[in-house]
Amino acid sequence: MSEVELSRERAEDVLFRAGYWLLFALIMLPIVVVFVTSFQRGQYLTFPPHGFSLQWYRQFFASAEWLSAVRDSVVIGVGASVLSTVLGVMGSLAVQRSDSTLARVLPPIILLPLLLPPVVIGLTLLIYFNRIGFTNTYLNIIVAHTLWATPLVFFVMQSVFARFDWDLRDAGMDLGARPSRVFYHVVLPNVRGGVLISAVVAFIVSLQEFIMAMFLKSYGVQTVPVLAWTSLQSSLTPLVSVVSTFLVAVSIIGVLVSAALMNMEWLAERL
Amino acid sequence: MASVTLSGLRKEYGDLTAVDGLDLDVDDGELLCLLGPSGCGKSTTLRMLGGLETPTDGDVHIGDEPVTDQPPYERNTSMVFQSWALFPRKSVIENVAFGLKMDGVSEDERRERAREMLDVVEMGEFVDHDPTDLSGGQKQRVALARSLAIEPDVLLLDEPLSNLDKRLREQMQLELRNIHDAVETTFVHVTHDQNEAFTLADSIAIMHDGDIEQIGAPREVYDDPVSLFIEEFLGDTNLVDATVAEVTETGVIADTAFDTEVDVRTGDAAVAQGDGLSVSFRPEELDVERVEGTDGDGASAVTGEITDVLYRGSTVRFYVDLGGEHLFFEQSVGADTAFSAGDVVRVSWDPDDLLAFAADGARVGRGET
Repeated sequence: MSEVELSRERAEDVLFRAGYWLLFALIMLPIVVVFVTSFQRGQYLTFPPHGFSLQWYRQFFASAEWLSAVRDSVVIGVGASVLSTVLGVMGSLAVQRSDSTLARVLPPIILLPLLLPPVVIGLTLLIYFNRIGFTNTYLNIIVAHTLWATPLVFFVMQSVFARFDWDLRDAGMDLGARPSRVFYHVVLPNVRGGVLISAVVAFIVSLQEFIMAMFLKSYGVQTVPVLAWTSLQSSLTPLVSVVSTFLVAVSIIGVLVSAALMNMEWLAERL
Repeated sequence: MASVTLSGLRKEYGDLTAVDGLDLDVDDGELLCLLGPSGCGKSTTLRMLGGLETPTDGDVHIGDEPVTDQPPYERNTSMVFQSWALFPRKSVIENVAFGLKMDGVSEDERRERAREMLDVVEMGEFVDHDPTDLSGGQKQRVALARSLAIEPDVLLLDEPLSNLDKRLREQMQLELRNIHDAVETTFVHVTHDQNEAFTLADSIAIMHDGDIEQIGAPREVYDDPVSLFIEEFLGDTNLVDATVAEVTETGVIADTAFDTEVDVRTGDAAVAQGDGLSVSFRPEELDVERVEGTDGDGASAVTGEITDVLYRGSTVRFYVDLGGEHLFFEQSVGADTAFSAGDVVRVSWDPDDLLAFAADGARVGRGET
């Protein structure tokens, strides 16, 4: 290769990287704005901020309304996470290595709620729950979020089970273990990482979801995004930036925890 | 310990018939090899025996008990998988004790029995190892111990030696044989390797297209194949096209592709003049000597020139040209009468050693020679 071609290749490489990082920065910029403005002084959201203070963080932790929204979000997130993980893992397990009609029909049906607009699901569930007199707000939102999170768990587990060595299951049954014991003793220990990651993803999805939670909220129970929206309607204070920072932080921590779990699995396999 | 009876066993996957009405009896304590090329249905048959596949039709009996509808965890069979399928994240001894744990055997007792089993397969010093760190041969032994630990009525082996290198495979064949003699359990061993089957088996069942083509003691099957498929599958041989020129009292005189009329002892089998035959000249039955001139042809000998010499490790294979047709024979490396390309040789045989097959592959005159 000639010198000219080589320098040309290098220039293209630099241009590509620069373009890539620029795009990345543009996408990430709003998050930075949110993060920075959460530390600002003064009553109104401005960017760039005037001065630094932790006053909005203090206000957040002093607010009974916000803390109760955090509690509601966590309760609903954990509930939706547990329920969708159980349903998604079992559903995926059911269609493994099967060529029955159910195994062909189930995946698209499970996917369906993810393709419907949340407005439609939210409204439909609101009417439905009212009609049947099922008015526990926690459970209502948990069911709504489970509808959304189950397909995600299902498809994560599909790829996890695709890498599972099914001879192990056969060996377990062959050695006298009933299917439930095979699942507990043989399958689960080998897909634990995938199950935990599914649960984390489901929790984050529930935590972020706004539209269905909006429809199904009640006077006493509302999630953090819903409260953020209502308080935004009255005034645009930096408090919303604080809340958003927390939501972003939880998501990032979730991803990091999953990555750490994966790495530990990976490490454990090599030790 | 128990006998096994398969009757009318069928397995279909959609339009594909993997096992096609198979009947098989395995005696109590016998070591039976299911031998066949890949895709012949031998593994499917084994999996139906273990309950890991449900037959489309037919019955499985273990001892006198019908088990066709029993799930694998209720059958007292145990399988050694081709991939060995050792449980990762469980130590070697936990793997071996797994079946006993599922049976509700107490922890102390199952550890003790697992340890004994590991001693039998000479893996006693690897008790607390992680199975993923073991070599192929060691994994194979642990898998064997795990299956034997539950004292199965029938041990099923699904090509467990096929992932090992040649030397280790041959060593394990002998050890398997010894372990079989020691535990006196019925073994059903699936393999595509005819040497392995000959080394291991009390009897060999050769499968072809989802059914058993022939079953018998190794020597019996080798000496007396029922079909061209078996003759070709059990070893390399010279198959020569021929036409029946004349029917005689002891068999036929066949006009071969190398323009020599040859005596074939087909007895009084129903063949007529003009029938096509495949005649098998097994290389180990051929006598070869160097000669001058090419006038040695006869009813049980031909003369030709050696054209190719192939070194195949411990043996040398020689190809003799017989006017376009070739016959090969083999010698050990370092044999006294080494031939070389260009030598003119006379190849002769005992007419009783030739095997003839009809156009449909069936043996002609079996049992008459």
